[in-house]
Amino acid sequence: MRHYLAVLLILLSGCVLSSCTREPLYQSQSYVFGTLVDVSIYGEDGYRARLLANDVLEDFQGLHNRLHAWQEGSDLNKLNVAFAESDKPFPISKELAQIISNAQALSVQSNGLFNPAIGRLINLWGFQRDQFSPVKIDKAAITELVKAAPQMTDIVVEKNDTAYSKNRKVRLDLGGYAKGYALDRAASYLRSHGVKNALINIGGNIIALGTHGDHPWRVGIQDPRKPGPIATLDLGDGWAIGTSGDYQRYFELDGKRYCHIIDPRDGYPAQGTEAVTVLVPPGKNAGTLSDVASKPIFISSQEQRVKAAHSMGISNFMVIDTQGKVFVSEEMKKRLQWVEKDVTAQSLQ
Amino acid sequence: MVVIFLFQTLWHSEHATKLRIRQGKAIYATLSLDQDRILDIHGPLGDSRVVVHHGQVHFEHSPCLNQYCVHQGWLNRAGQVAICLPNQVSLELLGNKKTYDSLNY
Repeated sequence: MRHYLAVLLILLSGCVLSSCTREPLYQSQSYVFGTLVDVSIYGEDGYRARLLANDVLEDFQGLHNRLHAWQEGSDLNKLNVAFAESDKPFPISKELAQIISNAQALSVQSNGLFNPAIGRLINLWGFQRDQFSPVKIDKAAITELVKAAPQMTDIVVEKNDTAYSKNRKVRLDLGGYAKGYALDRAASYLRSHGVKNALINIGGNIIALGTHGDHPWRVGIQDPRKPGPIATLDLGDGWAIGTSGDYQRYFELDGKRYCHIIDPRDGYPAQGTEAVTVLVPPGKNAGTLSDVASKPIFISSQEQRVKAAHSMGISNFMVIDTQGKVFVSEEMKKRLQWVEKDVTAQSLQ
Repeated sequence: MVVIFLFQTLWHSEHATKLRIRQGKAIYATLSLDQDRILDIHGPLGDSRVVVHHGQVHFEHSPCLNQYCVHQGWLNRAGQVAICLPNQVSLELLGNKKTYDSLNY
């Protein structure tokens, strides 16, 4: 009894050992990629941590400028203009050549559900803007674009770092790829500079290095309809997590919600899903995959979700549908800690 | 047993003690929730109005187009977050212990 009291008193005073002394934790927040970027570095000298975090943020800003889908003059925009004009090979950077090749492979793997070639559809729905408002739905234009069926496989990347598209309607939008790719770059940069422990969050795509002191990094998964987490989980060294939701970029028209994730099969915003979270084990492209892999699951019908996850090599995932029902894969279930006690999660396998 | 029960109740209620407001890269303020106040926080689009009332906080109005931040409603528990991406203002409620390091939103 006395023992419990002692524990209680320590907890009440808010002074568990680790929080009494100042933690070697550096944290910064800023806004890049039109979203919030959160960099935490643990166990480094504060000054060094700040410099390294600034390098990471600068790299993100550079990527954002190069890969911006609709800003005139960005590398990606120039390539999109070239695709629309002719099928003559257009010079691109080595980096962009690699990104396109990798995105092509992932698109094929997802059976075309991850399709960054549908920039025109995204634009038509008004989501290629920093701030958007409801658009008038242009059914004829949507039908026409779906019929033209722009695909990643329409793009040919040649060995001399040039690219062309066999389909004039291809317009790249790397909105579902760039943030994850940036995570992989940041993780590799920090590792190469000897940082052992860090957590990088770009608008809901997170990668972990090492731990937060004597315990793993812990991330909260946003409740799609409440201002806080629905669950938390520990993110081990090298693991990445990504959530796609219908709540960060959407508009409402006649009482119906239209989110930014477009189903390339019918050209309409995906309906029926509030959020999909995927957890990716350590690997070379863990960050990229944490961004990409949620989209095919988000777009798929309930019956096809498991298949979509498996096609992307994902075994840890959670889905929240538009009735607020929560579905989790068996493997994911073991890792989640619910914040609300009344969550009933159904198994998906 | 009573002590254990109390311990669990305290642990789960996650009572928020403080409010952290950030604008852009900077921590704008870390405040107690005990005192009611109205703050106008200047961002790239203009002023976001944040109201603290009876231990709760919300965005009362915002110069952004979509008003997602205003629709988030009142926050009153530790770990809750409301973010206005366009105006780069975020509200986070802190408790005695952080329940997570970063939010996957």
